[in-house]
Amino acid sequence: MAQPPTTQLALEVRDLSRTFGVRKALDKVNFELPQGAFLSIFGPNGAGKTTMLKVLSTLTGASKGSAKVVGLDVVQDAVELRNRIGFISHNPLLYPDLTAQENLEFFADLYCIDEAPDRIHELLTAVELDHRRLDAVRTFSRGMIQRLSIARSLLHKPDVIFLDEPYSGLDPHAMDILDSLIAQVRDQHTFVMISHDLTKGLELCSHALILAKGKVVLFAEKEAIDPDVFSATYRQTVGMGVS
Amino acid sequence: MRVAEQGIKQRKFLGLTGNAWTLLMLGVGAILTTADFILAFFYTPVVYGAGVGGSKMIGGVVVSQQLLFSQKIFYFHVPVAIGSFLVFTFAAAYAVLFLVRKDSNYDIRSRTGMEVTLLLVMLTLITGDIWTRFEWGVWWAFGEPRLTTYAIMALLVVAYFVLRAAVSDDERRATYGAVFCIIAWIDAPISFVITRMIPTSIHPVVLRAGGGLTGSQLLAFLLGLFGMMFTSWAIYQLRLREEFAKVRIDALKEALEG
Amino acid sequence: MAKISSSRQFKAILRKDIVMEMRTGEMLTSMGLYAVLVLIVYGVALSQAGSSFDVQRIAAGLLWLAILFTSMLGLNRSLVHEKDQGCLDALLLSPVDRPIIFFAKATGNLIFLSIVEVLILPLFYFLFLSGKPMGGPFWLIALPLIVGSVGIAGVGTLLATMSVNTTGKDFILAVLFIPVMFPLLFSVVAATSAILISDPIAGITFADAFWKSLALGAGYDVIMVLAAFGLYEFIIGA
Repeated sequence: MAQPPTTQLALEVRDLSRTFGVRKALDKVNFELPQGAFLSIFGPNGAGKTTMLKVLSTLTGASKGSAKVVGLDVVQDAVELRNRIGFISHNPLLYPDLTAQENLEFFADLYCIDEAPDRIHELLTAVELDHRRLDAVRTFSRGMIQRLSIARSLLHKPDVIFLDEPYSGLDPHAMDILDSLIAQVRDQHTFVMISHDLTKGLELCSHALILAKGKVVLFAEKEAIDPDVFSATYRQTVGMGVS
Repeated sequence: MRVAEQGIKQRKFLGLTGNAWTLLMLGVGAILTTADFILAFFYTPVVYGAGVGGSKMIGGVVVSQQLLFSQKIFYFHVPVAIGSFLVFTFAAAYAVLFLVRKDSNYDIRSRTGMEVTLLLVMLTLITGDIWTRFEWGVWWAFGEPRLTTYAIMALLVVAYFVLRAAVSDDERRATYGAVFCIIAWIDAPISFVITRMIPTSIHPVVLRAGGGLTGSQLLAFLLGLFGMMFTSWAIYQLRLREEFAKVRIDALKEALEG
Repeated sequence: MAKISSSRQFKAILRKDIVMEMRTGEMLTSMGLYAVLVLIVYGVALSQAGSSFDVQRIAAGLLWLAILFTSMLGLNRSLVHEKDQGCLDALLLSPVDRPIIFFAKATGNLIFLSIVEVLILPLFYFLFLSGKPMGGPFWLIALPLIVGSVGIAGVGTLLATMSVNTTGKDFILAVLFIPVMFPLLFSVVAATSAILISDPIAGITFADAFWKSLALGAGYDVIMVLAAFGLYEFIIGA
């Protein structure tokens, strides 16, 4: 596909479904997200949030419908798309026996980044880990690992960053660091975050999405949301947890 | 409330529904196999025209009654052996279809095919073992290429089911199963070729040096082949129906929860 | 956007696996120790066989048995790393072609297996074969070792990637691995036997036994490794 990517929408999801056998992980999901936005996805366990993120980040395919991230189709333009997306998870996605620098060098090679040493140095300084760059990751604290993880995801200057419950397991100090790091790069990227923390998710977002049993229960911009109504809907949906 | 209509639809083929065909096939298969049995043991002339009863000199070699009897197993052993690989191919083809289309129906068909394959491979091993017992007086012979290949094939098919049982995620289970089915399907003929072509010290490969099959022998053989094929097909269809019924029940459960 | 270079990615993954192994030494020490233990058990098994027992006849089988079980140990470990920290996802999220992951992992496994073989072989020779006449030039044993190792690494990487995602990982790998490896094992044991046994079956020349078996093993490698390569991308994303 030789079309240049559109500059308007970060996410364009149309009738996205993912079924296997009789189980529907995603059921006709529809929404659009403009660039530079911050989307928080909420929902009970098994609602399809992780599946949604996996489809959008090209880790799995869709059964029906389509999804486009920054104008690139997640199935057909997957390889090109992977250059433009970043992923931060509750898993560190780092190799514990390698040093911080080696970890970043590895990922820099995977993404074929030009002038890697400079970029790595730049990022290590930004997350304040430059002084520990020659230490093995297994010696890092949870907060430091999360910081390095962010550095890893920003190496290739992605347009969209996916976050899969990034705050889980973090102590308050680490949470603050994560907050400030996100704030630093907030305006240069689009974010899509799954979170179980309602307050945090609402605080950071510009758009909110509630999923339950693979279907969209609510999708709205933050200004349009009445916090009480939202809380009630959320509690009601979470109560509908899939067994 | 919509129930997922999956699996075999009630189509009519040559005036009979799917169910009717299955029963017909089962019946025909049973009749053919029985006919084969009777023919093989009572009417077919034995190899080299030797009579049954006592020993005889044939071509300078003493042939005993045991040896002649073992030849009868041939009418069952070879058909099930051929059949097991045919059904295996069938299952592997569905595995390929599943990997390409990602439709869980193909996975169900592939797995059911593997179940029938397992049955046939077991029968092949049993009849092959009986043959070995009568021919060489031992229950097993490691160097014998046929036996070893079928044993490996049995292990491959069992491994397929062990693998499936060990994966917790549905889609992953189907994907891994399909991939292993294909690998196993490629491995089996290679195994056959290699064990035949590499000389071993235990038993030299005994090639049946006996021209073609005479009329009634051929008939017995063909009866066995077709009888087994029809019966296998019927078993496959019955089992498939059972699986699709389970799928419909699952779909109903899902719909009720919503 | 940066230009994607497959060789840069391949080298990165391979280098990472080697560096990690050099740093922890986990895989090599466990594989090496396991192999030595197997040889010791052989010694015990043969100690009651009597001095007239010709261990040469089964030497090839014993050697390959040791290699086979040692390799199964190594294969699983090479993939447990990725799964532990969720790193496999990180690999899949990056613009790396799935076949490259396969080649890099398989090459890494091949290198580690070769290192262990280089260690076992002299030990095996000194323990069981010293002073005995051979059926062929000993250095030729490198050939079946290569053919066998390539097959083990290639197909083993595919199977281990599956087994590491199951409950009962090592057991599952063994159940899958041994039947699939059987034809390869059969041919390399035959080829190795041709070298190690000084009086083979009557009527079969060394050349016939050795080269024929080797060719069949190589045939297995070509077909099965190609199949493993083709099927890998289906399981890595599952």
